[in-house]
Amino acid sequence: MSIKKSNTIKSYEITSESIYLERRKLIKSMSIASTMIPWGMAWSQSPKEDSYISAYKKNSIYSTSEPKNSFEDITTYNNFYEFGMGKSDPYQNSGNFEPAPWNVKISGEANKTGVYNIDDLIDSNALEERIYRLRCVEAWSMVIPWIGIPLANIIEKLEPNSKAKYVAFETVYRPSEMPGQRKRILKWPYIEALTMAEAMNPLTLIAVGLYGQDLLNQSGAPMRLVVPWKYGFKSIKSINKIHFQESQPKTSWNMSASNEYGFYANVNPEVDHPRWSQSRERRIGNGFFGAKQPTLMFNGYQDEVAHLYQGMNLKKYF
Amino acid sequence: MQYMVKVFTLISLIPFIILSLKGFGFLPVFGFFSDLGANPIETIIHATGKWGIRILIITLLITPIGYYTKHELCKRLPKPLGLVSLFYILNHFLSYALIDQGGDIKVIIVDIIETPYLIVGWAGFLCLLSVGLVSLKKLQTWFNKNRSTISGIVYTAAVLGVWHYYWQTKVIEVEPVLLSILMLLLTGWKFKTSKKKS
Repeated sequence: MSIKKSNTIKSYEITSESIYLERRKLIKSMSIASTMIPWGMAWSQSPKEDSYISAYKKNSIYSTSEPKNSFEDITTYNNFYEFGMGKSDPYQNSGNFEPAPWNVKISGEANKTGVYNIDDLIDSNALEERIYRLRCVEAWSMVIPWIGIPLANIIEKLEPNSKAKYVAFETVYRPSEMPGQRKRILKWPYIEALTMAEAMNPLTLIAVGLYGQDLLNQSGAPMRLVVPWKYGFKSIKSINKIHFQESQPKTSWNMSASNEYGFYANVNPEVDHPRWSQSRERRIGNGFFGAKQPTLMFNGYQDEVAHLYQGMNLKKYF
Repeated sequence: MQYMVKVFTLISLIPFIILSLKGFGFLPVFGFFSDLGANPIETIIHATGKWGIRILIITLLITPIGYYTKHELCKRLPKPLGLVSLFYILNHFLSYALIDQGGDIKVIIVDIIETPYLIVGWAGFLCLLSVGLVSLKKLQTWFNKNRSTISGIVYTAAVLGVWHYYWQTKVIEVEPVLLSILMLLLTGWKFKTSKKKS
């Protein structure tokens, strides 16, 4: 398929601007109501009419059959420091974030660089559901039914050249809408990166939704990375820049504490975090007395990804 | 005066009461805040730990306040508040050991070896527990004879507790830094005043 550049403004985008402002007011008034009545939550979470997801394929060979976490657990327990450091902060503080319209800047070692509208990058016919395990570096895990397309599908369109050894991603920087960015918790904007081989692996996903609807702001709307064999912090949210480069990119958590968070950050029960064990994990939703479970090598995706790290010392390249 | 001691002790128990109400689902009117969230055991461990160290440091702050204001309440409050702090830390420890780790001694030992901030937390807990035990009625005479030793152990417990809190944060957070500064000031004051006496 051909790629249209987004500087050709479509007529429906212009008319929608005023509607957006109105809608924002409406959502704000709804969120005030929702703090007073519990069932108000259901309103503010109802899908938008201009959803990215029209149809999607189910039953991927890569999906796990483990029980899924509830929509509520997935959308109220998040690490998304742009909205605050508490687990419920992203749910509570992301109401002012505006995920549409959305453009992504493509730069670096590729033929098709420039600014693209999200609709030009996400082939809506290729959307599929992938039920993946997510393992956080903090030793908890979830099972999430993502809706997205393989990152490889996007990268192929952008035609990276032979110098492109790594692909780096950036989260949008909007301190006015993202209160966590007003504090120096991390060096903003958030940056994550993969090797090209990791990026092209069929497991690597760009998600635009979960549980059949658009991503909510706290989950990284409107598009985010999902790399299920790596710790959650690699799966960068609300991406608005993609950069292809030859040298290994500097990534946010690695810059924050390089002895604790490596570039690869593969889930590995044998390599502990310097301050805590990675051998077991708490599966969210298993109940108050639910036991911890052993963490699996590459989060259980060794068949798909172990070959990427053949012969590598994983204790050194953690 | 005794009435005021009871009031303050009750206030210090409010976080525990709220936590319990959430745990048993008695706060349905508050919507999202009505339960312990997606990871209830983590919520309990974090809340009891935080309130334990907060109340312990408040307890230690009462002594210098009493030193300058000579208020009678400042003499009576430290013991009940210290025991409330121990109550939180005991809950913190038990919910970690019995629920989070399932009460498996072998698993707990391995977890402690693999997790350095737990060693610090354990040491602090044992300090506080030992002081709590000697404050029981039968040991009162010993307690009264060895006041300086006791306060030394409580200070050690507080320093270890703050360290335990600070060490597990992923990035620099405001509260552990604030508590560390308070502990530094308190320890400084303690050394200054104890030198004067001798």
